[in-house]
Amino acid sequence: MTRGTERTLLVLPAALLLAAVVVAPVLRVVHLSFHEVGLEGAVEERFAGLDAYRRSWSDGRWLQALRNTAVFTGASVACEAVLGTVFALLLHRRFRGRGVARAIVMVPWALPTAIMALAWAWIFNDSFGVLNDLLLRAGLLDRPMAWLGDTRTALFAMVLADVWKTTPFVTLVVLAGLQGIPESVLEAARVDGLSAAQRLRHVVLPLLAPSLLVAVLFRAVQAYAAFDLPYVMTGGGPAGSTETVSLYSYQSYFRYLDFGYGSALAVQGMLLAMLLAAAAVALSRRGGAA
Amino acid sequence: MRARHGSALAGVLLLALAAGCARTGQPQRLSILVPASERPFWNAIGEGFTRATGHAVDIVEGPNSTDLRESLYTASLLAGDASLDVVLMDATWTPKFAAPGWLVPLETEVSEAEQAAFLPAALEAGRFRGRLYRIPVRTDVGVLYYRRDWLEEAGLPVPQTFEDLERAARALQSPPDRWGFVWQGSQYEGLVCVYLEVLRGHGGFWVDPVTGEVGLDRTEARDALTFLVRTRGEHPISPPGVTTYKEEESRRIFHDGRAVFLRNWPYVWRLAQAEGSPIAGRIGVMAMVRAPGGRRSGTLGGWGLGISRFSPRRAEALAFIRHAASLEGQRALCRDSGYAPALLAAYDDPELRAANPFLAELREIHAAAVPRPALPRYALASDVLQRHLSAALAGVRPVDEALDDAARDTRAILGVAAAP
Repeated sequence: MTRGTERTLLVLPAALLLAAVVVAPVLRVVHLSFHEVGLEGAVEERFAGLDAYRRSWSDGRWLQALRNTAVFTGASVACEAVLGTVFALLLHRRFRGRGVARAIVMVPWALPTAIMALAWAWIFNDSFGVLNDLLLRAGLLDRPMAWLGDTRTALFAMVLADVWKTTPFVTLVVLAGLQGIPESVLEAARVDGLSAAQRLRHVVLPLLAPSLLVAVLFRAVQAYAAFDLPYVMTGGGPAGSTETVSLYSYQSYFRYLDFGYGSALAVQGMLLAMLLAAAAVALSRRGGAA
Repeated sequence: MRARHGSALAGVLLLALAAGCARTGQPQRLSILVPASERPFWNAIGEGFTRATGHAVDIVEGPNSTDLRESLYTASLLAGDASLDVVLMDATWTPKFAAPGWLVPLETEVSEAEQAAFLPAALEAGRFRGRLYRIPVRTDVGVLYYRRDWLEEAGLPVPQTFEDLERAARALQSPPDRWGFVWQGSQYEGLVCVYLEVLRGHGGFWVDPVTGEVGLDRTEARDALTFLVRTRGEHPISPPGVTTYKEEESRRIFHDGRAVFLRNWPYVWRLAQAEGSPIAGRIGVMAMVRAPGGRRSGTLGGWGLGISRFSPRRAEALAFIRHAASLEGQRALCRDSGYAPALLAAYDDPELRAANPFLAELREIHAAAVPRPALPRYALASDVLQRHLSAALAGVRPVDEALDDAARDTRAILGVAAAP
């Protein structure tokens, strides 16, 4: 047996498994997106070309879902990148109880999203919620707000919950990046007379860029696919202001049994996610070359 | 054809397949998927059935979430899976599962006399295009709770109309510590249930079951939504967060003695009257109030059983349904759970009456129960209505615009022409 065939044989099981659970369903969804599936009497597929896609471009609900998802992804990933880096820099310093502090920072990341989404829904509740209580006591509000009941605040309340939950992920990745910066480089910067702020700006942050980019890319794709958070916290309301791309495709597919349309939404969602990832990777290559 | 569908649904399908495997041989083994929380009651029904017939029943524990179980059933039926014989269905699932021919019609098996033994509205929720697909086993109906003690102290009569309700709420409330009226205003199915009660109370309708006409752009529909919007308007009787409330959020406020009126489901009664409850013995319950020309009603909910067309054990499945809907089965389901039975005779049963004294009132309220429209695309129609109602309640759109859009979208879903 040549080395080549051996390699192929070793990779084959994993490749077949991936083909069965990823490639086949994806192809099936792409196929469905060009068909209309009738359920009356018997299940029946009719070729419909681009009908479902065309329908989605004039579907206000889909456009709203795209907008919501973009705002949610942009806002939450930006906050998480900044906060995650700050936490990582703080946790990288030596201080008493650092191990405990690191463990505590990781707790939100370890909680199941559905459970913490439910908890945040109660935190934002107008009558029982702790957020309103704190703001009222601090004199920042004169009466309780229904954070999840107002179209102007609901999406940002969801961003806050997401930031709380996933900042630890960014912290973790950036912290690993920080530990990879050789002490000798920092020493050299110190010898050259750079202040702490200058070292951060000109040495640490550029060296951190690759890990930060990885973290942001992962987070962006994840936030873009957000499903459990809106499903549990708001169900997409009020007035559809928190409905995401994933939530709408799921509803179309599984609740409305509109397989063609649900698939068309899912395909578009997937393409946009791939574009997003490709843009990030291209950006990192350029950054790496510079 | 069906197998190819299976591949698209691979993930969910695996779950459904794992839920149970068909077995052959005498006696038969039936399988049914129930919410995990209801398992003890279904076990008791299954044991009784096994004693009586010798057939075994696998009670498969499913998720508690109605939506998730709906998805599991959908994936399983779509794939033609034969492992789930009996389908436990919500009041709105009948058309969705019956239209593709996934359920066995039962009207030839279940005689008129047998059908007459159930609450009429509950049985009606099992019909689609003239045929019967679902036998009810428990019912639910939207009701209005009120603080009897506060009304009596203030010398106010129990309200009969929306005007009375607003007046009494205003007289007795002192927000934010005590609110007049709490209900479910979050963008979900519960909002549709509330709106339908207020809508019928104003004499309006959503989709006419006979003509198929859509009534959302009529004056009655506007008046109904205007009432709900006004509850949190300039002089509110409902808390600002009512647009985020589902059942539990609203119930807790009422339970803590912080609301005069509560629209909710019968499960609240048991909790409110339990020992240690701050409102035990202080509350009353009735159907939603009405405007002149409207009728008092409660939206019908509840659960029933149907037979999967793919089940090779139809006769045994039917026997199981008969058992679950018998007085013995109703006792097993409702005695310890506090659920409202679907069998009329169960309301007079001394054993059930002793366990749940509320049954006497419930029976009366159930006379006013109205099912939601039987549409194969109910889920979509309901979501469309929810979004437009939510937009008006959140103050994003005026009532008439929101309802005009809702009517237009609903007509598009149903494929009917606009009113002349």
